[in-house]
Amino acid sequence: MSAATPMLQIKNLCVNYGAIEALKNVDIDVYPGEIVTLIGANGAGKSTVLRAISRIVSVRSGDMSYEGNDLLKLRPDVVVKQGIAHVPEGRRVLSRLTVEDNLNLGAYVRHDNAAIHADLEQQFERFPRLKERRKQLAGTLSGGEQQMLAIARALMSRPRLLLLDEPSLGLAPIIVLEIFRIIRELNQQDGVTVLLVEQNAHLALQTAARGYVLEAGKIAFHDDTSRLIDDERVKRAYMG
Amino acid sequence: MELTTLLQQLINGLSIGSVYAIFALGYTLIFSILGIINFAHGAVFTMGAYFTYALIGSRFGFNGIFANAQLPFGLPFPLALIAGGVLAGLVGVLIERTTFRPLRRRGADPLLTLVSSLGMAVALVNLIQYFVGAEAYSYPSSVLAGLPPSINFGTPEKPLIVRTVQIVIAIISLIILVGLTLFINKTKTGRALRAVSEDGTTASLLGINTDRLIVLTFFISGFVGGIAGTLVGLSVTITGPYFGIAFGLKGLAVIVLGGMGNIPGAVLGGLVIGIAENLLPASAVAYKDAIAFAILFIVLLVRPQGILGRAQITKV
Repeated sequence: MSAATPMLQIKNLCVNYGAIEALKNVDIDVYPGEIVTLIGANGAGKSTVLRAISRIVSVRSGDMSYEGNDLLKLRPDVVVKQGIAHVPEGRRVLSRLTVEDNLNLGAYVRHDNAAIHADLEQQFERFPRLKERRKQLAGTLSGGEQQMLAIARALMSRPRLLLLDEPSLGLAPIIVLEIFRIIRELNQQDGVTVLLVEQNAHLALQTAARGYVLEAGKIAFHDDTSRLIDDERVKRAYMG
Repeated sequence: MELTTLLQQLINGLSIGSVYAIFALGYTLIFSILGIINFAHGAVFTMGAYFTYALIGSRFGFNGIFANAQLPFGLPFPLALIAGGVLAGLVGVLIERTTFRPLRRRGADPLLTLVSSLGMAVALVNLIQYFVGAEAYSYPSSVLAGLPPSINFGTPEKPLIVRTVQIVIAIISLIILVGLTLFINKTKTGRALRAVSEDGTTASLLGINTDRLIVLTFFISGFVGGIAGTLVGLSVTITGPYFGIAFGLKGLAVIVLGGMGNIPGAVLGGLVIGIAENLLPASAVAYKDAIAFAILFIVLLVRPQGILGRAQITKV
């Protein structure tokens, strides 16, 4: 990407879980308007990067800035107000609340009620399945519907940066394709910048412009995805 | 039992049961959010009763720092009831700050927090004794001035007499129950509370300041606890600093019976225990408290999760 300053800049990020070093000196840049993917094996620390950005795990050392603000000074709820939305691993919809309540909670940081209502209708247009089930408890939805709800809920905060953690996890291939079509559409039509964590490296590299490969808590290498797709190391390790 | 007596006891049972319900809601709200029983809730109940007692301008007794002390003014009872509830709510916030938050910050085991709240309960009870002594206090009968002491719902030949205070208690409790239910189910803040109760981390990711909602929960819990204390004090008498402790045990029975962390469960549990106690024959009234726990014991044998509780599902 050609834009001069990164929207999100992570430098020397270190995160520990007790005595275990989950992330070691991780550097990641995300420029406005791009889709960047973070691939790696199970347990490499991909989710931890996203959780550090959202400030729900504590950071041992390093720097993180977002649109010029020091993320490390912000509480998790303030991060959302700054325009970062996080779709967590395993979707984490609020199962005892209705679909509509989940979506409204996505707009918790906003106070422009009329616009929130319009956005709700827009999400229903994008995800017609959710509209049919708007009064249903979120826990009764199928996996694919829950993933759609989790994404729609994140969009309700009108994010400029969307953090997606394993959106394909446990879903049927046809649903995965649909979800990734929507991710591309959000990026291209609505200009949402995306940081995508995925185990399905092939799909992730096809979707993103640049990719980082995380191995045992360290960035092993990074490049444009067009080159990563043909990279022998990536092929061997992540694409079978 | 004669029909009129039965009806009379049913009304008395509904009245005390509704107080059990709002008191138990104080436990339930905190439990549903933190997964911890706040053992200091009984002490907050007691403090609410004393606050209202002081605010209506009554004089304290012979012992304690506040012996013979009296506020230079007296609020009308409805105002004092609300102000006493607000003060009790602030005590709840203080408990959160001193007893819950420091341990939560360190990621302590819930069992430790539970013991910490038990310690707080003992400290508060002793504090009450230090300030106002251990004697019993009764609200002056003038608080319900303008209302007759009892109302006959029957005919002169077949009287169905209910103490006015029981009706006042039932109405106030009902208003609180309805208000709280609407707040939790219909408002934005209530929705956020439900989110925090189901999954605190996800709530944070949605931009909800969980700490602030926890403080709010402790305030509401203290508020309803304090009001319940005043209402029971009004119905019987404030029996001393330990007033809320025995009541607190019964409150626990109520929430376990109804289903932990479940708001309709707390209400149902309160009403069941309140009515059951009052339907006892006069000869068995001394065993009233045993009834609450016997019902609890039997229900738990059949339904370990409580009447309206969800079966435990382990989160993955």
